Amino acid sequence: MSTRSNTNAPLDNPWQARCAVIESVTAETPGVATYRLRFRDPQDAQRYRFRPGQFNMLYIPGVGEIAISLSAAPQIGGAGDHTIRVVGNVTRRLAALAPGETLGVRGAFGVGWPVADLRGADVVIVAGGIGLAPLRSLIYDLISQRSAFGRISVLHGARTPDELLYSREYPSWEAAGVTVQTTVDRARPDWSGCVGVVTMLVDRLPLPNVPATALLMCGPEVMMKYVARGAIARGVSTARIWCALERNMQCAVGLCGHCQLGPEFICKDGPVFRYDRVASLLSVERL
Amino acid sequence: MGDDIPSLASTTFGSNLPPDVVSALVGLFREQSVPAGATIFREGDDTDVLSVIAAGEVSLEMDVPGRGRQRLLSLGPGDLLGWSPLLGGGSMTASATALQDSVLYIASAHELRACCETNRELGFYLMHEVARSLGRRLLATRLQMLDLFCPVNAEL
Amino acid sequence: MAGYAETHGARFLQVDDLGGLIDALRSQGYTVVGPTIDQGAIVYREISSAAALPRGWTDEQQPGVYRLTQREDNAYFGFSVGPHSWKQFFFPPRTTLTTADRTADGWEFGDVEQAAPRYALLGVRACELAAIAVQDRVFLEGSYIDPVYQARRDGALIVAVNCTQAAQTCFCTSMGTGPRCTAGFDLALTEIESGFLIEIATDAGQAIADLLPTNAVEEPQQASAAVARQKAVDQITRRMDTSGIRDLLMTNLNHARWDDVAARCLSCSNCTMVCPTCFCASVNEVTDLQGDHVERERVWDSCFQLNFSYISGGAVRDQIRSRYRQWLTHKLATWIDQFGTSGCVGCGRCITWCPVGIDLTAEVAAIRETS
Repeated sequence: MSTRSNTNAPLDNPWQARCAVIESVTAETPGVATYRLRFRDPQDAQRYRFRPGQFNMLYIPGVGEIAISLSAAPQIGGAGDHTIRVVGNVTRRLAALAPGETLGVRGAFGVGWPVADLRGADVVIVAGGIGLAPLRSLIYDLISQRSAFGRISVLHGARTPDELLYSREYPSWEAAGVTVQTTVDRARPDWSGCVGVVTMLVDRLPLPNVPATALLMCGPEVMMKYVARGAIARGVSTARIWCALERNMQCAVGLCGHCQLGPEFICKDGPVFRYDRVASLLSVERL
Repeated sequence: MGDDIPSLASTTFGSNLPPDVVSALVGLFREQSVPAGATIFREGDDTDVLSVIAAGEVSLEMDVPGRGRQRLLSLGPGDLLGWSPLLGGGSMTASATALQDSVLYIASAHELRACCETNRELGFYLMHEVARSLGRRLLATRLQMLDLFCPVNAEL
Repeated sequence: MAGYAETHGARFLQVDDLGGLIDALRSQGYTVVGPTIDQGAIVYREISSAAALPRGWTDEQQPGVYRLTQREDNAYFGFSVGPHSWKQFFFPPRTTLTTADRTADGWEFGDVEQAAPRYALLGVRACELAAIAVQDRVFLEGSYIDPVYQARRDGALIVAVNCTQAAQTCFCTSMGTGPRCTAGFDLALTEIESGFLIEIATDAGQAIADLLPTNAVEEPQQASAAVARQKAVDQITRRMDTSGIRDLLMTNLNHARWDDVAARCLSCSNCTMVCPTCFCASVNEVTDLQGDHVERERVWDSCFQLNFSYISGGAVRDQIRSRYRQWLTHKLATWIDQFGTSGCVGCGRCITWCPVGIDLTAEVAAIRETS
């Protein structure tokens, strides 16, 4: 196997965080909010590079650091949008911060979505729960060059209707030529949409041109395995399916060992992987 | 809607059956339109109908005393409704309501069973496809049960 | 085995002049670290004279057993490897990475000056040279360079020692890493009764050798040195068949042997602590009482820790079976995918220091036999 190399330029000190200011906090769904960050030092902003699918390490000194995918490309001078769900110490402390307060940012890290490989393809984007966050930056990237791609479908599943993420934005995605379908695991009485796991939406999606179809997904691993299985059963090649994986990340640069899945370092060989590279690893229990 | 209704043969159900089986069965099915909001059958009904959804969306629901009507699952083109009467198992175990204007191919369950009795080979293929359809639904139900998006409370 | 020695040659140092080597290193500003006895084991510490060396001592090692006993001779380096490896000097067990200070304008993030002593490593065995090379690949030759490792590694001088005996747990010959030192050192010593044959491999090594009262090497000394080195080869009895080992392990991830070893393994992390190539680490926050000055500290971690693979909700590897499998498959198989070499150098430390005596060579053999 050839040497694994990252397409990122090496950083001077990969451990060093840069100061970022919270520019705004947007409540999304219960327990989920999007933090828009801005680098305090314009030089840091100038040096920052980002591709859809990459992540930042957000650092609250004294509390800890977490890996968060960017849900939108940074504005000028920005450090990106980060959609975060409260699940532990760091995210809980982050939820208590207000615009104007600062934290540390390291990044951007990782391998992003393969936008260049999607040209001319019918793109199917499958998002489970908060998995839509890392895919959102891809969606906006595709929209910005809409004519370069065929059909674009977003299939999003969440637990309940009020946990469907970015629902305010769906009309603008539709207007830009992206089909959006949603489904929930558990309906509310006033929900008239689809009920069931998102794999069902994938199974039912018309695929008029299977060889030209590409599928990109992010969500719980179980969901992704069965989405892939359904797509493969319909003739989509494992070389045309990509997934975003998650593991315990501490250094984000492949030096601390925590994020390994078999030979892959999720932080630097991923988090986006072509499915044929990881399918057999994902099928081993507790690997 | 209107122009895109697939024939029975070209639904997922039909296209998984050998052509001669489809030709033998097609005479037993008739097309039925169901407007959005209409009840197709109720939980507990003793209907004698197997339906194949050709177009539209149907919601499966169960009534839970104290919680009311619980929506379980949405079914769409290619899915089966009413496997209970076909398998001879008694009454419907859920209610079915059309969420959108839908088109169904419906057949008498006991006529289909009679067909299976006299033509065992046809019976094999029909039951096989029914089993496959239920298997897909079982997997989807399991994934739903796993509650993969449930909120996590973690300390780290 | 020639090649490197041709460039700078070899010299002979009388046994009583060994202390002069340490003095010479110190005079050139090196902090000398080398073997010394502490708490019943031969460990690596800063030393300032030859008196600190474990002269006349040897070690007896078996799975789960380590004992020091006295030799019949006065050899300075008549032992194998102990619980310490040299990784502690380039990859310190605890190190501060960065700082953060709360100011009126928010957090100020600061670098930590990676000032490190210039180490002279005295007594590095062939397997350890290989281990240093393995860690060089990890920390210096990937997409990201670790500044802590780089600062310490850059100025280091390595005085290797050719083994003249082997422990029962050694298997360097199976891993192609020894017992002969062939690369990665500045000086290499072979001890015979009258003194040390010194092979000089670099200019830095030459600079040190020039400060010592050495003589040209005589033929009988060469012969004795060769005999001494051969003893190490002859004493190695443990073997690991590494043919096709990457695929052997990666196609047997559900082998029953993993359950077998899991029933014995305590998940205590000893093996990862003593292993000279293990590099897993965690990052901790260290704050003052008011939380205004915070330091990020990197500390050694182990994939055997339950929370090592924690992601929201729980650990991915929540069973010992899974954690042992992770360690062994990483060390012997996926390391090859990641870095182009095995992660194991055959030093045998994990076998000696496992409290229940798990022997990875036996585990691999068991899987190979019944795969």
